[in-house]
Amino acid sequence: MTVPEPSAQVTGASPEQPAEPPRAAVATPTGRGLPASSWMWVLAAYLGALVVVLVGLAVVTVLAGASPERALATALRDSLLTTAGLAQTLNRMTPLLLAALAFSLAYHVGLFNIGMDGQLYAGAILATGLGFLLGTALPAILLVPLLLLAGGLGGALFSAPAVLLRIRWGVNEIFTTVMLNFVALYLVAYLCTGPWNDPMAGEAITRPLPFRAALPLLVPSGGGHSGIVLAVLLAVALAWFLSRTVFGLEVRSVGGNPRAARFAGIALARIQITAFCVGGALAGLAGAIEVLGVYHRLLVGLSPNYGIIAILVAVLGRNHPLWLIPATFLFAVLVAASDSLQRTAGLPASAVLMIQGLAVLVVLVMEAVRARRARFVV
Amino acid sequence: MDWSLFVDPSLFRLTLVVAAPVLLASLGEVLIERSGVLNVAIEGMMLLGASAGFLAAYRAQSNGVGVLVAMATTALVGLVLAVCCVSLRASQLTVGLALFVFSVGLSSLLYRLVIGVRTLTPKVTTYGAWATHGPGLVSWLGRLPIPVYIALALVVLVHVVLFHTPFGLRLRACGENPLAAESHGIPVFAFRYGSVLVGSALIGAGGALLPLLLTGTYTDLMVGGRGWIALMLVIFGRWTPFGVLLGAVLFGYVEALQYSLTLRLPHVPPQFLLMIPYLFVIIVALRAYRGAQAPAALMKPYDREQRS
Repeated sequence: MTVPEPSAQVTGASPEQPAEPPRAAVATPTGRGLPASSWMWVLAAYLGALVVVLVGLAVVTVLAGASPERALATALRDSLLTTAGLAQTLNRMTPLLLAALAFSLAYHVGLFNIGMDGQLYAGAILATGLGFLLGTALPAILLVPLLLLAGGLGGALFSAPAVLLRIRWGVNEIFTTVMLNFVALYLVAYLCTGPWNDPMAGEAITRPLPFRAALPLLVPSGGGHSGIVLAVLLAVALAWFLSRTVFGLEVRSVGGNPRAARFAGIALARIQITAFCVGGALAGLAGAIEVLGVYHRLLVGLSPNYGIIAILVAVLGRNHPLWLIPATFLFAVLVAASDSLQRTAGLPASAVLMIQGLAVLVVLVMEAVRARRARFVV
Repeated sequence: MDWSLFVDPSLFRLTLVVAAPVLLASLGEVLIERSGVLNVAIEGMMLLGASAGFLAAYRAQSNGVGVLVAMATTALVGLVLAVCCVSLRASQLTVGLALFVFSVGLSSLLYRLVIGVRTLTPKVTTYGAWATHGPGLVSWLGRLPIPVYIALALVVLVHVVLFHTPFGLRLRACGENPLAAESHGIPVFAFRYGSVLVGSALIGAGGALLPLLLTGTYTDLMVGGRGWIALMLVIFGRWTPFGVLLGAVLFGYVEALQYSLTLRLPHVPPQFLLMIPYLFVIIVALRAYRGAQAPAALMKPYDREQRS
């Protein structure tokens, strides 16, 4: 057990050990390997979560008044078994993976970033604005990377106040990031109804971007864009950075034991700011990708709670960049399936949130039970 | 601009009305955190309270029933939190976040299942001004809706219980040093369970007041960050009921001011005015964190058999 800090100054997460790392986080890159015998238990935990998801979906469809087997079969087809369905899943996976990477990067330096939605919107705003400005002036080969970079910049800038306030004044970053989410949301609402509004649309969306400001398609038949390649590459790169570079070592030591890191001469604040803002940039990039790949404009519903779902994904994937890829894929299937259930069974969009929360809860409970059992084995 | 609008009596009335839901929620959170458990699911719990409370009030045509049902519903979520975090010693932050997401989903699912999709939004009658003969001395203060008085009375009640009864002393001991508390024969687990249940019920009541006191309708995500703000106010108020009251009134004033500014300044885009409360909270947070001392055992699962 860690020694309790003598005067933890703040609630929520205290600055010295902000993220009482979940007991379940056994196999994070920070160490503490999993005893081999408990693999069965981990497997049981995830299978239990899967059962909960399936039963939950079935129950919810029945409650919504549709036949579960028909609706679920359609949902599976629309999310996994057809090319178009798979394309939809991959499209959903892209922002989720990037946002989950943002959360876990902050988590690795002991910070909690709950503001991925806000950073996503900030990135989308900057990318859209620059797209309007330069959309006709540049060729696509320059324009698209430039807009993606702008998205990253927007996300990084929007996440910076939270981490700076945390380091300078000890303000818990959970609150600032959540509050900034709402600020970003209202900013988008203003832009969509005010200066950038599309007068032809009659709803809160902006004018479309010029045609060339679009990500190349990966699966043309289903509208699957190439953002997923970028997201997976970034996840792999991040895993490499965390495990194979000096910066990664510093990040992991800051998250693992901040006191020891400080005594080892690591510039705590610098590492925390860098990791948090790089995370923000990833979330902002997700926003730019959504604009350039899916909607080709800015709108209020750009992120259907991606930021919140990403937190669950990160918990499920133990904040390890590589494990986040399959975890995100599963949740993206779920999101795409719930889109389909929304059409066929009239399921409300947020029902999927309930099921996802429940699934993660099952995993957490199973892990906690295992941790209790492990005591008696020693 | 007419500066008198900042000290308008009706603004003060609105301040207290708007502050009541947040006040109840932060009082509940004070109880929970004083026993050593952090409840980050508060935003989701408020939303669930709003949904369940609205639906029950709509079906039963009685706001009182609505509030009670909301309290029972969120107490159930609190029970799950307590089982996970107190008995099973799971991480309070991750379990809280999972429960937050779960409750957000559940609340709009409940609404959709009970109400369905309608063109006409169902409404309930909100708690009106308390028109019976109030104390005539300060006429505007005597005619507030009844839940506001109950919330204010609860501030006093929670303060007395926490700081002037043996029960409160034991509860705080559980949050400061559970090992020492238990060596004095205080059942730490029972205290933590109890405070999480009661606190969650208060949070649910706060959530239920949003439709039943303020809007009369339920909309998805109507809590709009008030849960997180309540969490902030607990720190601002230094884990004391009267400190929380001060914070809630400050927040209520800013929110009420934003409403009246929206009416007075038609040429300013309303979205910028809507941002004001959130930016205000960030500014308040700067002050709130200076020297804040959380209960020492907050977020630390109590392990009876742990060797220190």
